[in-house]
Amino acid sequence: MNNQAPKPEKGTWVGQPLRRREEGRLVRGQGLFVEDYKLQGMLYLQFVRSPYAHARIDRVDVSKALTAPGVLAVLTGAEVAARVQPFIEIGPGAQGKVIDYPMATDKVRYQGEPVAAVVAESRNAAEDAAELVEVEYHALVPVLDAELALKNESLVHDQNGSNVVWHGNFEYGEVDKAFQEAANIVSIGRMHFHRFSSTPLENNGIIATWDPKKESIHFLSTNSFPAFAAQFLSPALGVGIDQIQMESRDIGGGFGIKITTYPQMAVCALASKQLGGRPVKWIETRTEHMLASAHGNERTFLDTRVALDKNGVITAIESRHIDDCGAYPRYEPLGCIIWAQVLPGAYRFRNYRVDFTQVVSNKCPVGPNRGYSRMQHLWFLERVIDICGHELGIPTDEMRLRNYIRTEEFPYTTPNGCIYDSGNYARMLEIAKGLVGWDGWKEKQKQARQEGRMLGLGIGSTLDSGTNNFGQARIINAFAPYSGQSKAANVKLDIYGEVVVSLGSVPQGQGHETTAAQVVAEVLRVPPDMIVVRPGFDTEHNVYTGHTGTYASQFAVTGLSAIHGAAEKLRAEIARLAAFVLKAKESELEFGVGKMGPEVRVKGTDRSINYWGLANLVNVNNAELPMDMADITLNCRYVYKAPFAVPDVEKKYGNLTLTYAAQLHIAVMEVDRETYQPKILAYAAVDDCGTKINPLIVEGQVHGATAHGIGAALMENCVYDPEGNMLTATFSDYTPITVMNMPDLACGGLETPSPFSYNGAKGMGEGGAAPLHTICAALQDALYSRKIIIHDSHNSGDSIFHALQGDSAKPAPAVHVERRA
Amino acid sequence: MSPYPFHYHRAHTLAEAVTLLAQLGGEGQLLAGGQSLIPLMKLRLARPGALVDLNFVPGLSAIDEHSGEIRMGAMARHAALEDSELVARVPILHDCAAGIADSQVRNMGTIGGSVAEADPSGDWVAVLLTLGAQVRCTGPQGERIMPVSDFVTDAYTTMLGPAEIVQEIRVKLPPAKSGGAFIAFKRCASVYASASAAVQLTLGDGDICRDIHIALGCVGLTAVVPIAAQDALRGKPVSAKSIENAADAAMAAAEPQSDMRGSADYKRVLVRAVVKRAIDIAARRARGERVEAGHEYVARV
Ligand SMILES: Cc1cc2nc3c(=O)[nH]c(=O)nc-3n(C[C@H](O)[C@H](O)[C@H](O)COP(=O)(O)OP(=O)(O)OC[C@H]3O[C@@H](n4cnc5c(N)ncnc54)[C@H](O)[C@@H]3O)c2cc1C
Repeated sequence: MNNQAPKPEKGTWVGQPLRRREEGRLVRGQGLFVEDYKLQGMLYLQFVRSPYAHARIDRVDVSKALTAPGVLAVLTGAEVAARVQPFIEIGPGAQGKVIDYPMATDKVRYQGEPVAAVVAESRNAAEDAAELVEVEYHALVPVLDAELALKNESLVHDQNGSNVVWHGNFEYGEVDKAFQEAANIVSIGRMHFHRFSSTPLENNGIIATWDPKKESIHFLSTNSFPAFAAQFLSPALGVGIDQIQMESRDIGGGFGIKITTYPQMAVCALASKQLGGRPVKWIETRTEHMLASAHGNERTFLDTRVALDKNGVITAIESRHIDDCGAYPRYEPLGCIIWAQVLPGAYRFRNYRVDFTQVVSNKCPVGPNRGYSRMQHLWFLERVIDICGHELGIPTDEMRLRNYIRTEEFPYTTPNGCIYDSGNYARMLEIAKGLVGWDGWKEKQKQARQEGRMLGLGIGSTLDSGTNNFGQARIINAFAPYSGQSKAANVKLDIYGEVVVSLGSVPQGQGHETTAAQVVAEVLRVPPDMIVVRPGFDTEHNVYTGHTGTYASQFAVTGLSAIHGAAEKLRAEIARLAAFVLKAKESELEFGVGKMGPEVRVKGTDRSINYWGLANLVNVNNAELPMDMADITLNCRYVYKAPFAVPDVEKKYGNLTLTYAAQLHIAVMEVDRETYQPKILAYAAVDDCGTKINPLIVEGQVHGATAHGIGAALMENCVYDPEGNMLTATFSDYTPITVMNMPDLACGGLETPSPFSYNGAKGMGEGGAAPLHTICAALQDALYSRKIIIHDSHNSGDSIFHALQGDSAKPAPAVHVERRA
Repeated sequence: MSPYPFHYHRAHTLAEAVTLLAQLGGEGQLLAGGQSLIPLMKLRLARPGALVDLNFVPGLSAIDEHSGEIRMGAMARHAALEDSELVARVPILHDCAAGIADSQVRNMGTIGGSVAEADPSGDWVAVLLTLGAQVRCTGPQGERIMPVSDFVTDAYTTMLGPAEIVQEIRVKLPPAKSGGAFIAFKRCASVYASASAAVQLTLGDGDICRDIHIALGCVGLTAVVPIAAQDALRGKPVSAKSIENAADAAMAAAEPQSDMRGSADYKRVLVRAVVKRAIDIAARRARGERVEAGHEYVARV
């Protein structure tokens, strides 16, 4: 036992800032990542990728590559297509017509799309031979802009006849009436949320092994939602889902972007099948990752109109949104509904109308990332509230206070039927203002303005909706065969009395092993160090459900609920058994640790039995156990079912997520008058994720998410040139944030326990969007007097310089205020 | 992400390295810290048939004071220069060494490799130009030494003959009342600057600028020496006005190109800003003030 374990406060382990137990292993290089595995007979796969964004494939000649040293096979897109079914599409109608094969067949649709795959004895041999594959392309006009995509002058998927893959109207309340009665109407022209990715430390990796005897396929991969990937792979490969074995070990970060790797998995599987079942490994390079793994959704907001009463309270918003999902929809069009989890953001307005369209383009396909689909929408709402505040002369803090949902209104039902569990946004704002020194900065701002300096304070209110209801997919496709949310866990007392937790989750730095141990420790009253935790997805050796994966900010709710449920079941079995052995009533028993390790004792006596004794009775020495106790297995599985119903598909109404963590950030920024660089002078981050299971892990998540958000707001941008070449496919060009860019963070918290989770926790970790709104708001405050409207989520010294010069490539939107009565 | 096959030779003396290079003809290429060469090889943009490794040649990384000069062996790592007390006596050298990329790159990359690579975005050449540094080379024809201004002739191009090796960089210790500063604007730690300015100036009586050397990095095919900017200060008092004039002249001399590090227009703006700051800090240091300078990054103050 580790004697350094901190003493529990008030006898509780949950809520303690325990250090992550996985850290030691990971920082010492003892983690096990896909790249670490070297299997007998393993082969290496190298993709040949398209240099074009949009081109017809006229000829693929693999003859030279096939005869290169060490090469065993070269697969072309056409060959792969002959052996698999196209992947199923989630969307109906237009999207349903999209044909998505694991490699390009007739034409390429984004730069970096695989057109062939070389399999060789070594990685070097595969790489050398890949250069010998000859492909003739005929360049086509690329579709690179969502608004131009709507014109259908060039089609990404010809058979679709249109670049639109999904369209829906969302309307709630009485929008027209609200506009008729409005005291003020603010119109805002085009705004744009830019494309960025996730920059995990580890890129994607796969080892696929086909078993010719069982006709099954085993994947060891970085995929962070394996249960989902299996549902796509099974029909494509023509094998039963039970013939697909998924396994994951340590994963070096993901942030959502590793969910959609099933095309690469399919190619590796086919290669292994073709080569008699030899394991086939593919390790993605950073450039491949940047070009062709997945990006976040890009979204354009048009024709926005906002109705407000005379006090600046928003009564209605209407707008037109165009989401660009890149070349293939894949996880989409789920993003077309997922934003609606936070439809009104932190605000009280009841009337809302949006015309939502999703288009395909000749860019990398998108995948969930960093606050998937909600961040685009929250950014939009935050721009709206911020611009309205400035236009109407209402201070931005006051503007928010007038519009926030009040704390006494929780649980709060949104116009589209989502139920916000708990929160206190006004109090969070107050805490953040205190942390950042709001009043002092306001004074300094006055003085700075007199000196001609551009200094601004910005607020960002963000919701991190967690534990999604898959039933929302029905709003996209009424026939989608899934709904709700579940997680499974198993807690057992093993044969020598060790407590073992199996949870089949897919952690990538979220500390699941640590919090799982805390929860079980709490139930059994033993230190977390005595609890063995086995995470990692494994269809053969670990528990899972069809929802298992790490996504949608939910582990603290779904994962820990499952673990808690299983631990309670085990505790009940242990109590029953111990009562029999100790000849006592269950109510007289007490759990704890004695001289012989974890034990159960009769309160106030020295009569006890340790875990080894109990396990022995069930597993080894069971003649002593009466028959009526034969149902005790000490091996307890629990499946957590989230309390959801299927939403009303027609009205697009229903509860889409269970918990609503919130982030309130404030930035004080100054635009340097010589370099035009936006500099962060002070930054406060206040987080409310309900009851914290481990405050240290929460703080780590807040720091990481904030860094990602600052990077996204000021540095990261997936830039394509007019031919569709990605100009930011290396880290030298993409510039992920480093510690040299990070301001000091003043972190604070508030805990409004969720009434919907057993532990009061809310899922968290996807608050990564918060700095995007916050930084844009601070820049708006700094630049409003210079007639600049912040209309893009990415701002750099360069773009601010050009905006101030009035020669910006993307001019600012027209903003108009109609003041009535 | 793996290079084409190549042969590897380990040199144990400078003479052996010269001989190896001569034998290999065009095939051979020196390997110093590998921080420019290896990425290029892994991206398959460079394809040397053979590498001659300088990392095992003793004595090539010494940093010494000699006859009023700092002599930096070609294999002196950026990190060693950053940590050197001798180098810190010439603050502009320390500014440069401490801000190159991140510590992994600084632990491997060398001053000799940087000068030989002559990357237009590299930091060292601009800094060394303002100090009138000399580059000592050794080749089959023996030794020669030349000012860095002659050594670098174009982007990625130097006076080095085939089989010739940079052996040492020499910098005269600046006189009293001389100060310098290097300011580079970077987006994040592990990338090259968008624009940089190196300034070394010497003050005379009454805060008159007796002598000044300015060089701009990243805004031309080689480091740009803005003559008019130097003239705007030389012989004149260092004042807000004269600094402005020099910065304007430097901006006019810059010939940047648009790329992911910034548009050409914007890089000119950056040049103006970094030159102003570098002159200001150089002058304050010349007056004996201790001021921090170096690399600036996006977001953080
Ligand atoms: C991520 C990253 C960021 C970087 N950022 C910066 C930056 O901000 N500023 C900056 O200045 N640099 C930067 N660099 C480059 C770094 O400073 C390199 O160290 C330097 O450019 C080359 O030095 P090296 O010792 O690594 O040379 P190598 O890569 O080993 O060699 C470079 C070239 O010079 C030749 N060569 C090497 N030594 C000699 C010699 N003694 N004589 C003759 N020829 C020789 C080699 O044959 C080769 O052609 C960065 C590098 C990386 C990887």
